This record gives sequence, C-alpha cells and structure tokens, in this order.
Amino acid sequence: MIELLRQLARTPQGAAGLLILLLLAAACAFGPAIAPYGPEHIDFLGRFHPPGARHWFGADQLGRDVLSRLLTGARSTVPTALAATLAGTLLGAVIGTASAYLGGRWDEIIMRTIDAVMAIPGLLLALLVVNTLGKGEMNAAIAIAAAFAPGMARITRSVALVARRQDYVGAAIARGERGTWIVFREMLPNVVAPIVVETTIRVAFAVMLFATLSFLGLGAQPPASDWGLMVADARPFLHQAPWMIVAPGAAIALTAIGFNLLGDGLRDVLNPRDER
Amino acid sequence: MSALLDIAGYSLDYRTRAGTLRVLDAVNLRIARGEVLGLVGESGSGKSSLAWAIMRHLPGNAHEAGGAILLDGADLLRMRPREVAALRGRRIGMVFQDPSTALNPTLTLGRQISETLAHHRGMTRAQAWQASLEALRHVELRDPEALMRRYPHEVSGGEKQRVVIATAFAARPELIIFDEPTTALDVITGARILALFQRLRAETGVGGLYISHDLALVSQVADRIAVIRRGQIVEQAAARSLFVSPGAEYTKALIEAVPRPERRLVADLPGTQVLVSVEEIGVTYGRRQWFGRRQVAGNRGISLSVHAGEILGVVGESGSGKSTLARALTGLTPFEGTIVQGGRRITAPAQMDRAYRSQVQIVFQHPDSSLNPRQRIGEILARPLRLFGGSPAEVPRLLEQVRLPASYATRFPHELSGGEKQRVAIARASAARPALIICDEITAALDVSVQRAVVDLLLALRREHGTAYLFITHDLNLVRQVAHRLAVMHRGALVDLLAVDAVGGAQAHPYTRALLGATPAPFA
Amino acid sequence: MSARWFARRCLFIGYTLLVVSLLVFAITQALPADAAVTLLGENATPAALAALRLKLGLNDPVWLQYWHWLSALLRGDFGISMRTGQPVGPMMFSALARSLLVAGLALALMLAVAVPLGLVAALRRGGPLDLAAGLISYLGVSLPEFVTGTVLLLLLADHLHWLPATGYVPLLRNPLDSLRHLVLPVLTVSLVMVAHVSRMVRSEMIDVLHSDYVRAARLKGLPARTVLFRHALRNALLPVITVVALDVGYLLGGIIVVEEIFAIPGIGRELIVAIEMRDLPAIQAGALIMAGTYAVANFLADIAYALLDRRIRYD
Repeated sequence: MIELLRQLARTPQGAAGLLILLLLAAACAFGPAIAPYGPEHIDFLGRFHPPGARHWFGADQLGRDVLSRLLTGARSTVPTALAATLAGTLLGAVIGTASAYLGGRWDEIIMRTIDAVMAIPGLLLALLVVNTLGKGEMNAAIAIAAAFAPGMARITRSVALVARRQDYVGAAIARGERGTWIVFREMLPNVVAPIVVETTIRVAFAVMLFATLSFLGLGAQPPASDWGLMVADARPFLHQAPWMIVAPGAAIALTAIGFNLLGDGLRDVLNPRDER
Repeated sequence: MSALLDIAGYSLDYRTRAGTLRVLDAVNLRIARGEVLGLVGESGSGKSSLAWAIMRHLPGNAHEAGGAILLDGADLLRMRPREVAALRGRRIGMVFQDPSTALNPTLTLGRQISETLAHHRGMTRAQAWQASLEALRHVELRDPEALMRRYPHEVSGGEKQRVVIATAFAARPELIIFDEPTTALDVITGARILALFQRLRAETGVGGLYISHDLALVSQVADRIAVIRRGQIVEQAAARSLFVSPGAEYTKALIEAVPRPERRLVADLPGTQVLVSVEEIGVTYGRRQWFGRRQVAGNRGISLSVHAGEILGVVGESGSGKSTLARALTGLTPFEGTIVQGGRRITAPAQMDRAYRSQVQIVFQHPDSSLNPRQRIGEILARPLRLFGGSPAEVPRLLEQVRLPASYATRFPHELSGGEKQRVAIARASAARPALIICDEITAALDVSVQRAVVDLLLALRREHGTAYLFITHDLNLVRQVAHRLAVMHRGALVDLLAVDAVGGAQAHPYTRALLGATPAPFA
Repeated sequence: MSARWFARRCLFIGYTLLVVSLLVFAITQALPADAAVTLLGENATPAALAALRLKLGLNDPVWLQYWHWLSALLRGDFGISMRTGQPVGPMMFSALARSLLVAGLALALMLAVAVPLGLVAALRRGGPLDLAAGLISYLGVSLPEFVTGTVLLLLLADHLHWLPATGYVPLLRNPLDSLRHLVLPVLTVSLVMVAHVSRMVRSEMIDVLHSDYVRAARLKGLPARTVLFRHALRNALLPVITVVALDVGYLLGGIIVVEEIFAIPGIGRELIVAIEMRDLPAIQAGALIMAGTYAVANFLADIAYALLDRRIRYD
C-alpha cells in the first residue's frame, strides 16, 4: 500500500490527484473546525459581500460565509459520493462475476438485461429512484449506486472473462484446484486492478451526479451546504453575486479532477507494462 | 560490380529511460544486384531494426550513431523526407511478417493493391485496377476479379500474403525486404509462398534482404547468409558453406540448435504399459445463442494411447485440433468419448479426480500467460507440492531440477525471460512427478537456442522420472528428433498415427507426406 | 449484415423496451403517493377516492395493472396526464422533438470539434497542443452540466449580453432567434462529450498509427495524406461510433439538466415537472421514450458500424 502510494506520487497525474484528494480529505475531516464562520451563521448586514479579506469567497444572500459553507459541505458531498460508488461497484461486481461464472445462456440473459437497463440514462434512473424513495442525501446515494451498478457489472464481467481465459487459470484447473481457490487466489488479484481504476474515475462521476441531484432539488435539502445545493441556491442571485456559483462549482470540478487524475495515475502504476 | 545496397559501419541506438541501448553496432553488409542476402538472428538481435533503418522508418527515440546505408551509391541517411517517400515501395519494397495485420481491414484488397500501383506507376484508377488484376494473376491467385472486391478477413492467410507480395513486386522495385514472410503462416502454405518467391525472384532479378529466425529456411532461399547477434554481424558467408563450415562459435551453436530430424535425441524405447488412452474423443465448440447454436468441431472421433515413458508427437497445422485434444485431456473443455487411465474410464471433466490430475499435467504455449503475474515463483511452485502431498520445502529442488537458481523463488514472473518462465511452468507441471506431461507448443514462442535447452530439460526429466510426453508442435523437424510415434491431425481428425521413422514411408497418409514435403530441411 | 442479424437487433430493442417498461413501472408503482389523492386533492371524500381508484384500476393486482398499462402502450396509448388531463403520448413526443433538436445540434457540434481535436492531439502527441487538449478534456469531464451551463449563462448572456439567457423559440417560427436561444444549451451539453470523445479519438488514432497496416501503407510509399485519411482516420473513427452512441445516454441525462437551466420545454423538463407533480403516466411515458431513444440511437450506430466495417460477422 505504501509502495503503491510512492509509485503513484511519481506519476504526474497521480501526484496531482493525491494532492487534491489530501486537501479534500483535510476539508472533510477538519472543515467545520477550520471554517472561519459557522455555516449557518446569518449576517444580514453582510449580504452579498464580495470576496475579500472578510469573506475570502464572498458571502451569500443571507450573509453566510461561502468558504465556511464549502468546507462544511465537503463532509456531505465527498463521502456520500464515495460511499455510493463503492456500493454500486460492489453490487455491479457481484452481478458481473456471477454472470461470467455462470456463462452460457445465463450470461447472455443477464448481460442483455444489463444492456437494457443501461438504456435508461444514469441521471434519469437516479431521478426515478430518488423520487420513489423520497428526497434526501441517503436516498440520493442509493440512487447513484443503482445507476452505477449496471455499468460496473459489464466491466467486471469482461475483466473476469479475460482473467478466466489465462493459461494460469487453465493450469490451476488442470491440477484440480477448487473453484474458490481459482476465483479468489488466481483470478481476483488480477481482476481487482482494472476495477479499482474504474471505480476511482467513477467517484468523479458520482460527485457530479450527486451535486446534480441536489441541484435539481432531489438530493441534500436546505439549509444543508451541499455543493450542488449551493449552486441551485445561488441561481436567483447570479447577477448580483456570481461568486456564489463559482466557488461551489469550482469545488465540484476540483474534486472530480482529483479523482480523475488519481484514476489515471493508478492505471499507469497498476499496469507497468503498458507504455502508453 | 557495384553493390545494390551497401551498409557501411552503420550503428543505431535507442534512447530509453534506462539509458542508451545500442541495437546495431557497426554493421557492414552488401547486397549485389539480384542477390538475396539472408539475415538470421534471434529475437532482440536487431535484425528488424536494420530493416526499419533501410526503410527509413525508425521510432522517435532512435539515434543513428554513424555509418551509411547506400542504395546504388546514394546515402539513404542523407535523404530528405521527400526523397525517402519517392523511394519507398518504388525502389525498395517490403513484405511483412503477418499479412493479416499488414493489410487494412476496412479496405478491399483491390483498393489496397491498386492505390499503390496508381501512385508509383502514375496510372489512372482504371489502369491501376487492370494492372492489379494482372499482378494478382501473376502470384497464382485464382479468380483475381472476385478477390479484388473482397476484404482481408474474407480470404485465407496464404492469399493475403500473396496479395502483399504482388503489391511489393508490382512496383518493380530493385530491392525487397522480406521480414519473416512465412512465420505467421502454416507450414504447407509457407512452403508455397516460398516457391512463389523463388519464381518471382528468378523472373525479375530483384535483390532481397530475407530476415528470419529460421536458419534452415533461410538456407533454402538465400545466396549468402549473415548472422546477427546483439546488433553485431557475427559472420557472413555463402549459404552452403556457412552451414557446412561455420566460423564463429555463435553460428556453430545456432546451427547445432537447429532441429534436424536425422539427429535423434532419444535413443531408448518406450515401455509397453499403456498410461492413458483416449477412445473416440470429440469436442464441439459452440456458442449458445438465442436462436439455436452454432457448432464448430474441435475434435472428431480421436482414439490413441500413450505408453509409459513414451514421447508421442502430435503435429498438424493451426486449427487442426491439437490444442483441443490437450484441453480435453486436462479437463479444460467438455468432451465426448472416454479417457482411460489407471483402469478407470473418465467421460467428463468432473470425473478427473486428484489421482488423475497428479498423473496428467500440462505446460502451455505462452510463457507470459501461464504464470500468474501476481504470485511469486515460490508460491507458484509450492501450490502443486501442497496439493499432491509434497512439501513447500522442495521448491529449491524443483528450481534446481529445471536449472534455475533457488533465489528465483522470491521473484515475480515478469522479472524472468521467456525461456525461464517456461522452465518454471515445466517445474510446476512436474512437481507431483506425473506420469504424463502434455506439452502444448511449449517451444513455439522461444528462440531456437532457448528451444533446444527446454527440449534438453524435458529429456533430462524423462531420464530421471521416466515421464511420458504428449508433445504437441507444428515443427516437424523438432518432433522427429524426440518422438517415438507421431499423431498427425488435420481439421479436427486424427489422420495418421505411425512410428516416427515411417513418416516418409509409403504407408504414411498423403497429408503426412505433404506436411513433410513442406517442412524446410536444413543442409545435411 | 444478414437478415438474421437484423432480426436479432430488432428483438434486442424489443427486449430492452420490455425490461425498461418493467423497471419503470416497478419503480413508479412503488411511489408513496396515491394517484387518486394526487388527482382529487387531499380534501376529496373517501367515496370519490374509492370510485376513482376503481376507475383507474388501482385496486387490481400489480401484474394486472402492468398488463393493462403495457397493452395500452402497445396500442400507442401512453395514458392521460394527471396534471393536464391531456394524453401524455403526444405531449411527450412533441417535447422529445424539441429535445432532439438540442441533442442533434450538440452531437454535430461535438463531432465537429472533437474529431479534429483528437486527431491533432494524436499527431502532435506530447506537444503543447496535445497537453492543452488533455487539460481541457480533464476540465470538461470534471464539470457537471449545471455548473458549466450556469457559468456560460453568467458569462455570455448576463455579462457580455451576446446571447439570450433562457427560453425557447420554435425553429420554424424564427430560425435565427431559435438558434440564438439554442447556442448556450448546445454548448453546455456538448462540452462533456467533446472532452470524452476527443480523448477517445486521440487514443484510437495513436493505436491505429502504430498498427502494422498503417506502417505497411507508409512503407508502400503512399503519400502521407492518403495514409492518414484513407488508412488511419477511417479505422480510428470506427470504434468512436460506438462510444458516441453510448454517450447518447449521457447526452440525454445532460439534456434534463440543461432544459431545466435554460427553460427549454423538452422532454427532460417535462419529466422533472412530472416527477415534482407525481404525474405517474407522464413519468412512465417520459422515461420509456428516453430509453427508447437511446436504444434506437445504439441500433443506428450498430448499423453504421456494420456498413463501415465488414469484419464484424453477425450471427
């Protein structure tokens, strides 16, 4: 693990991604503690205060400090996206592995159904799920997990099928290894790497999707300082206080960039033989 | 006589992250007009780099450290890109190793040959089309009109290579570089391509640089042979004299390693006890689909048996079902029919128990995929020991048995060379001292010298433990050196099963004789 | 491309729509809202509610309700909107037409930008332009549409006053004004795809440029332009077709957001409204039509691929 991080820090993307994510982790851990103001500290005299010494990123329509809200909001945005992605990956991995393992007709039926489910755009599926379960952060996370599962199932299956075809798996069968050994010791270690890469990149999508749901009013609910919600809140005041949109927008973008960079870095590190 | 191509003191470096790597070191070679020079070397010897240097197609990190490449007195190194472009295809042609990748998959064959003609001979489209038809007819392709409208995937490998050759010759170049033109083809197809090359060469008087790893084959087509090793020309001489009286030690070793059927490596006879026999084995590959299923026969009604200590060679072209038989015997594919071993009749992979597995083991063709990249060599070897009642403490002994240092146990597969990986695979298969090891083209991916060492290793193991081998290969010369009997496969069926010295005899199947006739024999 | 292959693809579209309809029905049926209450309001008498439930078939078992809905669908009847009392089918399809205008323009813009960008990045690999394209595409895939849309709106409409901020003008009524209104939404949705597809074109192009057949074409002495356009680009763009078709799913999702931001009465906006109002038939119809659009786009992409690449054997 330490070795992996060291190798990662040596690739330009990995180093940049790690740096961004470390900052984010710090924001999630200490955000409320280091925030200059309380996230819901209302100051009517300081409404729409532009960015400056008093409010680094400006203040919103209620005079709340944007930076403080961002720092607090990190806690709701990033871990939720992370958890949703992991849940989606896990669900997808189980379905994909099962499909690859069953093979034949079952594989075809499962994969055709997955393809069919993927015909519903991810955002729409998430919208439908969130609408059914009710608004809220937790439900948005479930919706994102549901939207990610089919894609991850596809990827896991194809990676597993490639691993299945390797001769070392053939050799294991030929010496009479049990199924569990073959799956867990021979195949799984070789399947994990590409899935880790894909999952990392998907966290970026999850951050964006979660923010989008909040933006559409279906994710986190006011007065939470979720980043997507902050953008939605700021829209009526676009004219007076553009910083109210720019700051959370940049935070979302930075987070997504961080996970994208980390994913690319991991891809390089985990496949040392791929020179490209 | 002035040389057609004169390579004088040419050196080439590749700059890599690890440092500068010299791939060609002061190479001196001359090809006279109408002469064919064979360039023989193992992988990594720099033979292909030389071809790219002549074609002026070097990668970005290449650095030409000195020397000259003169075509008819003009130095290619000093030419501007425009002049080089005028040269390629027109004065220097090239025939590539794998015709299935050298042709654009989304353009018709006719378009690919005629675009070249139109460009080099200044023809209109219609003229070029006609000339292409003529050129294809000239390489003995039947029905060129239909062929011209086909896409590469719709024709056979041999036909594709004929199209590539026709394209190279059609612009009437002075020199053609052949980069292993038959390696990707089956033996019989390759032999026909070679015959075609001889004919065209005689007709056109073209000069050639024939690059190959196969000394036996080059000795048939080249006037002179140059041997290259680690970027240096070790020796060059007339083809016959090189074979008869090689000068350099390396050449001697290389010639020694070339399999010669008349030089038997196995003297003793096999036992009489039957180890494993298969009765009417059939394998169907089918993909289940929503509408019925398509079936492809992998094996049909194969019956044969292997005796104790016997080396049974299985030969045939690609797609003949050799590997399918290996997969059926190790339970990697469902099969019909019966496998008899140790008095038991096995009719399905599920019936292959530990006793059977410990007696029948397999080594695969590709060393890269046969070892799990995320396990250390020690773990890889300890597993069969643990499974079949040995102790992991025996790992050093196993490594020593395959002539590898015990320290390799802590290494990962990617730290080993291809030959070393194959040794580990052999060690893994022999860990439980099986009575039969199935060797599925285990030398196909290796250089001749490494190949020879691996074969020697197999024979040493056999002397020690009396192991029998099912030796699957496409190399008839090699298998005739070691096998007691030969099984010849063709399109999924066993067409011939005979003692190895009866291969050339009258009772051999016509297909067996065709295969033998197509196999290039080195000079005696 | 055989008739058999064609039949298989058609069957697959049918299966896709069936699965989607089941899924959509299952999700929407689980909605906590009682359709009868939604229609009649909280103050309706129990008797009126019961009568309406009977009329809507809400007392039937779920599978029977599904069957009624599905068989109506097959007759082209998508149901009656609970919000407007109008048939949802025509409503959703005319909204779809407006959305497809945005989507089509976005696809065209994306291809016009992404293909040359990816091509140049591949040819000048490692150069400043490649790096710039790489950075831009990182930014592109990391910015959700609601951020880019809002920022573009802020910059081009609010700040510079180059373009109208929101609203929709039918194309036929005033083509120029209509297009002016579409610039921002089209720009917004195409940005992510430009980033994605240009990277894809770049990596495919790099692969193809390293392929044996491109090398062979060069060494046959063909002019660089012929090699690039006839041999390389064509093959590099083939896999891109599939990716673009898959991106249509992303595009449709993006359109939901963009229509919301720029107030375009397309299918995405109808869906959001329907979800907010818990207008069941409208949600079901909208989701089904969107998924159908995606399936058809992929079907068309498959056909295009098959026509361009004869290697694919369709069995």
